[in-house]
Amino acid sequence: MQYALLAYNPSEDTDRASRPISGALAGMLDRPDVTGWARLHAAGSATTVRNDEGRMLLTDGPFVDSKEYLAGLILIEADDLDGALATAAELLGTTRPGTAIEVRPILDGRFRGA
Amino acid sequence: MALDAVFRDQWGRVLATLVGILGDIELAEDAAAEAFAVAAERWPGDGEPANPTGWLVTTARNRAIDDLRRRRILAGKTKLLIRDIETGPRPQGAVMDEATVIQDERLELIFTCCHPALALDVQVALTLRTLGGLSTDEIALAFLVPFETMSKRLTRAKHKIRDAGIPFAVPPDHRLPDRLAAVLAVVYLIFNQGWGGGRVDLAAEAIHLGRALAGLMPDEPEVLALLALMLLHDARKAARLRDGRIVPLDDQDRSLWDTRQIDEGRALLRRAMARERSGPYLVQGAIADLHLQEPRDWRQIAALYQTLARQTGSPIVEMNRAVAVAEIDGPQAGLAVLDGLDLGHYRYFHSTRAELLRRAGRDAEAHHAYRRALDLAQTEPEQRFLADRLAETAPSPKPGERRRRAAGP
Repeated sequence: MQYALLAYNPSEDTDRASRPISGALAGMLDRPDVTGWARLHAAGSATTVRNDEGRMLLTDGPFVDSKEYLAGLILIEADDLDGALATAAELLGTTRPGTAIEVRPILDGRFRGA
Repeated sequence: MALDAVFRDQWGRVLATLVGILGDIELAEDAAAEAFAVAAERWPGDGEPANPTGWLVTTARNRAIDDLRRRRILAGKTKLLIRDIETGPRPQGAVMDEATVIQDERLELIFTCCHPALALDVQVALTLRTLGGLSTDEIALAFLVPFETMSKRLTRAKHKIRDAGIPFAVPPDHRLPDRLAAVLAVVYLIFNQGWGGGRVDLAAEAIHLGRALAGLMPDEPEVLALLALMLLHDARKAARLRDGRIVPLDDQDRSLWDTRQIDEGRALLRRAMARERSGPYLVQGAIADLHLQEPRDWRQIAALYQTLARQTGSPIVEMNRAVAVAEIDGPQAGLAVLDGLDLGHYRYFHSTRAELLRRAGRDAEAHHAYRRALDLAQTEPEQRFLADRLAETAPSPKPGERRRRAAGP
């Protein structure tokens, strides 16, 4: 089985980018059972995209709504935020109505190739 | 030119170039602030350099590099950045001198600041800070928020631009129309904020930004039209207030209108129309122009509002059309247009409706509508004007008393 472990931090973390990953955590992330990880920039860097009947609506900030559930995680490579938003919009063209995608830059990570 | 004016003029250009070099708005802003401080110290004695932009950019860039060297302990990303600067395609080391032609990158900067991934109020604040050169203090004052709130908002925005990778670039053709519309909306929002309020002169800021845009994009009709629209509205500034009260256009002293500004606005409109591409700002500019003519051609004004309503789908445009319809077919016809609109939250809806009700002789309803408008009014001149009208329409036991009460103490 494969699992996704989703980590939530208590509040907006402004100094996140300049603080290294702690030694203990780094050790765990290097273990062979960890197949990949991504450390995300703080929520303030997020942009949420919604499909409103074909029109893409952008919101400045993370996804906040309790009715929806986290359905998936997709990692992409893009030149800049415009590229990432374009891919998000493309994805929203294929997903169920009411889906939202939060686009968050990755600070650091390790990914095992397919 | 006075030093203040030179600085104001240079800030946006210098900052934009530095963002291009350093790749980070916050770093660029710190470096620019340092360079301007050095200039303020030296220029009065040494004289202004022949190429002030080049001098400021060179000074700021050298300071930024020194500063980054001092902070080598920072993440590897920053070291990369220093290497980029030192070995990049730009002139080597510190020899970039005053003769270096500085490319104007303000367009890149304004497209970054008005990126749709930033909230609108953030776009506005950031544009005023980076291109307008307003201080955080001034922006906080203009939007009536505490300094700390505005400071946090700006810092967060700069971090988001850096962390999320919001591009520092003029958008490609397929994205340009939408993105340009966003930029123009920000400038016009700044203008309108200033027009109703009059705390910091935001209207002047918006016109300043509009001029810069018109210089950078001389072939975009909507850019020219927005500048024209702002100039035409702003030309009536001196006539809009009397005794601290708003003066309706018909009662304004036309000798106070700025004819030079009106001429400039009209010339810009002609240039924009010659491009044969219409947009909402061109239509609004044409309407603003018609409003300045005497007598006003209400049929043409109503027709243009209809065009604009189709382009924008805005109920506020419909509200304005109702005023023109009232002039053509009487206040009842105008009220019929207003009845279909869902604008109960909008303060000018109530004052517009009240005015038409008053003209229709429905004083009691007008009084009620003026009350609603007054409750929503945001500036003192508006409040005073509405308070007068409220008193005029107040139910009075003896008709003879009305006039005296309207005149006030």
